[in-house]
Amino acid sequence: MNRVLSRDALALHLTALLIVVIADLIGLVRVPIGIGTVILLPILYAFALGILLNPNIWRASGRFLTRRSVQISGSMITIAIMPFIARFGTTVGPQIEAIVAAGPALILQEIGNLGTIAVAFPVAVFLLGMGREAIGASYSIDREPNLALIAEKYGLNSPEGAGAMGVYATGTIIGTFVFAIMPPLIHALGWFDVRALAMSCGVGSGSMLAACTGSLVAVVPDQEQLILALAAASNILTYATGLYVGIFVALPLTEWLYRVSRPADARPAAGGDRR
Amino acid sequence: MNRPSAHVQLSEIVKDEDDTSIGLVEKTAMLLVACLIGLAANWAATGTAPLAALPGMAILFAASLAGLLLAAIVPLRLPAVAWVSLIAILITIPGMPGAAFITEAVGQLNFLALATPALAYGGLALTQKEFSIARHSGWKIVIVAICVMFGTYIGSVIIADLTLRITG
Repeated sequence: MNRVLSRDALALHLTALLIVVIADLIGLVRVPIGIGTVILLPILYAFALGILLNPNIWRASGRFLTRRSVQISGSMITIAIMPFIARFGTTVGPQIEAIVAAGPALILQEIGNLGTIAVAFPVAVFLLGMGREAIGASYSIDREPNLALIAEKYGLNSPEGAGAMGVYATGTIIGTFVFAIMPPLIHALGWFDVRALAMSCGVGSGSMLAACTGSLVAVVPDQEQLILALAAASNILTYATGLYVGIFVALPLTEWLYRVSRPADARPAAGGDRR
Repeated sequence: MNRPSAHVQLSEIVKDEDDTSIGLVEKTAMLLVACLIGLAANWAATGTAPLAALPGMAILFAASLAGLLLAAIVPLRLPAVAWVSLIAILITIPGMPGAAFITEAVGQLNFLALATPALAYGGLALTQKEFSIARHSGWKIVIVAICVMFGTYIGSVIIADLTLRITG
C-alpha cells in the first residue's frame, strides 16, 4: 500500500488535490484571436502546475515531494484517467442511435489516422532530412501501444526507436496543448461537420481526448452530448484497431515509403542491427 | 550529445511505466484516491457538492474497478481503460436495467473536471529523463511531433466528414 499511505504518497496526493482544486477554480478561459478562439482548459493548468511543482524542475519542492513521489505519480496517471474514461463512456449509451447512424464514418475515420504519414513523413524525410528515425517518429501518434510495437520490432535503442521515443516524449509534454488549440481553429474554418471533428478526438491518449473534446464543447456547447458520445466511441475503436492498423498497414507503409525515398539507405533484409 | 546514455534512459522509461507489478488491492486503493480527488475537482469546477455527486462517482468507481479486473482476467491485449469504456457504454444503453438512473447520477459529474487529476499527476510524474529525451531529440522531433498530431487528427476529420456527406 506504499503508493497510497506512505509519506511520499500522501505528499503526492495532497499536492495533486491542491493542483486540481486551483485548476478547476480558475476554469475555462477563452482567448479570441482573429481566425478563431483559443480555449484554455483546466487540464492545461493542472498539467502546467504539476510541472512547476515537479521536484525535477523546482528544487524547493523536493523537500516535500521525493523521487519516490514522482515514481508513484507515474503509476497514478493510468489509474486516475479511469473515472474520466468511465464518465466518457456513459455518454455513448444515451446517444446510441446517433452513434449507429454515424457508424460507417466512425469506422472509416480510423483509416484517417494514417494522415500522420501523409503530413509528418514528408516533413521529416524531405524537409528536415531525418534518417530512419523518421519511420518511428511519423508512422503513428506514438502513444504507448505504438511505442510497444516499435520496441518489439526494432528495439528502443535503434534509430526507429529513438524517433518514436522522441515523438512520445514531446507528445506527452505538448500533446494536451496541441489538442486543445487545434479543434476550435479547424472548426472556425467552417468546412467540416462537427460530428467529424468530434469523432476524430479519439485518436490519441486520454489527455489528448480530454483536451480535444473540452475545447470543441467550448465552441459548440449545444452539441455537448453528441460530441462526447462520438469521441468516446471513436476512442474505444482506436484501442481495438490502433495496434493492428499499426502492425499491418501503417508501419509497413512507412517502411516502404522510406525505401522508396532513400534507396541508398535500405536496411539489410535480415535486419542487421536489430538489438 | 551523449547519444548512447540517452538511449539507455529511453528503455528505462518504458520499464518505469510497466505497472503490471502493482497488485489489484493496491490499484483499488489508488483508484479510490483518484475518485476522491475527482469529487473535489468536480466541486471546484461546477459547485456540485461532493455528496450530491457521490452516487455517480460510486458508479464510475465500480465501472473502473470492473475494467481493472477484466483486464487482469481476460487474456486479450486490451488495456484496462478499453474495458472501462465498454462497461460504461453497456450500462447506459437505454433498456439496460438502471440505465436511466445511472445516466442521471453520472450527470452530476463534469467530464472535463474528471480529467484534471490525471493531468496533475502527469505533470508531477515527468522525470529528468523525459525532459532530457525531449532535449536530446531536438527541435526537429518537436516539428515532426506537431505534424504527427495534426496529420492524425486532420486525416480522421477529412475521412469522417466525407463519409458523413455520403451516408448522410
